[in-house]
Amino acid sequence: MRIDKELDNLLKKVEKPARYIGGEVNSIKKDPEKVSVRIGFAFPDTYEIGMSYMGLQILYNILNKNDDIYCERVFAPAMDMEKLMRETGRELFTLETFTPIKEMDILGFTLQYELSYTNLLNMLDLGNIPIKSSERDDSFPVIIAGGPCAYNPEPLADFVDAFLIGDGEELLEQVCLAKKGTASKEEFLKKISAFDGVYVPAFYDVEYNEDGTVKAYNKNWEGAPDRVKRAVISDLDKAEFPVNNIVPFIDTVHDRSVVETFRGCTRGCRFCQAGMIYRPVRERKKETVRRLAEEQIKNTGHDELSLLSLSTSDHSCFEPMALDLMKMCKEQNVALSLPSLRLDSFSFKVLDEIQGYRKSGLTFAPEAGSQRLRDIINKNITEEDIYGAVEQAIGLGWETIKLYFMAGLPGETYEDLDGIGKIAKNIIDINFKVRGRKGGRFRVTASVSNFVPKAHTPFQWAAQDTPEQFIEKHNYLTKKLHIKGVTFNYHETKTSVLEAVFARGDRRVGKALERAHQLGCKFDGWTEYYNDELWQQAFAETNTDIAFYNYRERSYDEVLPWDIIDPLVTREFLMRENEKAKAAKTTADCRQGCAGCGINKHTECFKGAELPEVKHG
Amino acid sequence: MAKYILTFSKTGTICYTSHLDMMKMFKRVFKRAGIKQSYSQGFNPHPKMTFAQPLSLGYWGLGELLEFETEEDYRAEFIKETLAPLMPEGIVITDCVVAEPSKKTLAAMTEAAEYIIAVPLHEALDMDGEEIYKAYMGRDKILTYKKQKKKKELAEIDIKPMIRDISFVTEDETLFVTALLDSGSTSNLSPELVITTLMECLKIDTDRSEVQVMRRKIYFGQ
Repeated sequence: MRIDKELDNLLKKVEKPARYIGGEVNSIKKDPEKVSVRIGFAFPDTYEIGMSYMGLQILYNILNKNDDIYCERVFAPAMDMEKLMRETGRELFTLETFTPIKEMDILGFTLQYELSYTNLLNMLDLGNIPIKSSERDDSFPVIIAGGPCAYNPEPLADFVDAFLIGDGEELLEQVCLAKKGTASKEEFLKKISAFDGVYVPAFYDVEYNEDGTVKAYNKNWEGAPDRVKRAVISDLDKAEFPVNNIVPFIDTVHDRSVVETFRGCTRGCRFCQAGMIYRPVRERKKETVRRLAEEQIKNTGHDELSLLSLSTSDHSCFEPMALDLMKMCKEQNVALSLPSLRLDSFSFKVLDEIQGYRKSGLTFAPEAGSQRLRDIINKNITEEDIYGAVEQAIGLGWETIKLYFMAGLPGETYEDLDGIGKIAKNIIDINFKVRGRKGGRFRVTASVSNFVPKAHTPFQWAAQDTPEQFIEKHNYLTKKLHIKGVTFNYHETKTSVLEAVFARGDRRVGKALERAHQLGCKFDGWTEYYNDELWQQAFAETNTDIAFYNYRERSYDEVLPWDIIDPLVTREFLMRENEKAKAAKTTADCRQGCAGCGINKHTECFKGAELPEVKHG
Repeated sequence: MAKYILTFSKTGTICYTSHLDMMKMFKRVFKRAGIKQSYSQGFNPHPKMTFAQPLSLGYWGLGELLEFETEEDYRAEFIKETLAPLMPEGIVITDCVVAEPSKKTLAAMTEAAEYIIAVPLHEALDMDGEEIYKAYMGRDKILTYKKQKKKKELAEIDIKPMIRDISFVTEDETLFVTALLDSGSTSNLSPELVITTLMECLKIDTDRSEVQVMRRKIYFGQ
């Protein structure tokens, strides 16, 4: 690709210029004149992060297989590049053809985390596209957004024209094709709002109660759906999956072949949004996984393969699949990486073989320090499970154990925090028991994140801890975890507050977002760039009451801003789970019997899985 | 077991990939092509493959050389034909030959490299090529500062002895410099030092980002 002199000069001045040049192996070259629809797939963070995101590769592949669509990539330029772009008037461009993003027909953002929202606005701004939907006429691209954060779309309702909720494999292509021959934005939005999974905020006016809560969503165009059902692909095994992945030139966070083995999770942890919004479990057959893996490795030259799902060992054919892939990888000199394994004897055998001398750390996520609190959150892992696994791991030569916990969970007391210290200490003791008094170079890392209540989970009504409460708990834990051989990390409180505002915010928090963007906030998820002072200023100037969004418990009667989205899991189920949480009662994994979440009214559970014994409710 | 030398060019935007990025790219291309490279032994095996000289980020290269070993014997022509269609845009394989038996690596034999440097001129220079040569090379020494490898401190050095040949042409408001410079492990001169000293000497105010550098050829000793 030849580029103009001015851009060439910019590239000579920035760090990692290869972030901006495209042209990687398997990136797609098309003649833009020969397609009907051009879409920019925008990831609101840097190239290295965006290119590690499998969803991009999945959708890029599907869209570009269609000769009538050209999907190009757009990432947030790093600070140094942005500065030069603004100085020289260079507009944000696509990596495939260096076309300014405002020349696209559609610009689609993926929303993976709330702290990337300012980057979305900043990217529009860098493309000389007005950030507000109402200020964009038909000459601008239609701005759409999808991904897990789109399940509470409201904070971005003023900026994004349409949200795509749910599985994008079929929906995004349909939406792109609907753009063909549709000149006006309004006509297009009306057309696509007929599809399951499309939410057009402009078709609804929000009415508020005096206390600030939502009173009602009133349609201002009759054709709009009463509630937007999420899009679901029923058969994952038949769903399109890439085998010609783009291979970045530069190091990215994850630079490897990846095959998604299944979507959904049956465990029902009450804090987990992914566990709710990706229901039901739909599997790829082990033969399909193997074929996709082989082809990907062949087409990319990768020397690492990883499996993607919410819980690797839960695949119905996990053991034969893992053994088969291990054999294949060994023959081809490819390292196999199996994240989020349940640590049973089979997993240890597999891990021991694939990691050999170079053992990575073992990670456990008890999430809470006591059985009572783990019952509240429905995290069905016991301390005995952990200690048994740790003992086995130490025997096999592992020297690093990582533990993940959350602070601020509903119903948490300081006794539960004591439990975190106890677990860490017990693991240290197990090491002494197994390896003798000296214990070797053994280390335990306990990482505590802050609980952020998420939409469409049983804890969507819960209050978040205040920053003062979090800080007090962190200080308490710092003392409790002052144990030789234990490293304690905790997550920054300020960004957890921000995340929570946008995770459960309504349309009005968009004002704070817009102000923060004007003040220069961006890359809020990066510790080195997060600017709390500016954010506080933005909240103050827009009269955004953080306490209203974060620190109060909502009642079941309240209309929640994200109720406009139907995740296909019923509100009654979420309420039931929340009540069971209050009574510290667990709900069994739905492989052991249907928990009645309601998803099976819409699609088949365990499609593709070899699970004859599953009882359907 | 066989050893080969691949010649390729690197032009266009791909010049913004680094030396290490190129290594990784080639490793993957070999894997995709199904050509079995020889790997080093040990805990962290890596393919036996080296560039004659690393090419700085942002430079173009016309005659870049990659030396590599394979497990099996292949026809050199076969390797060239198999790899060529798999290369990313901007990398063109021009040749592949069986390496002559030698104990030394290409990197160890590298002595000099020829660069073409294009400096856009915002104000015309009132000098022809010969006059520029006299102004630049006519001095006893060409002194500049270079970061020391070990100490990381700047030290003053004379680069003149490392310039084997240099000539200048101005055309279309651009100054073209053709320079044959020491290159390799015994004596090495980065074109960057030539660029800075030349711009100082001729009082050119062009920003470094406007200057293009292309390595045309690498020369070897015995």
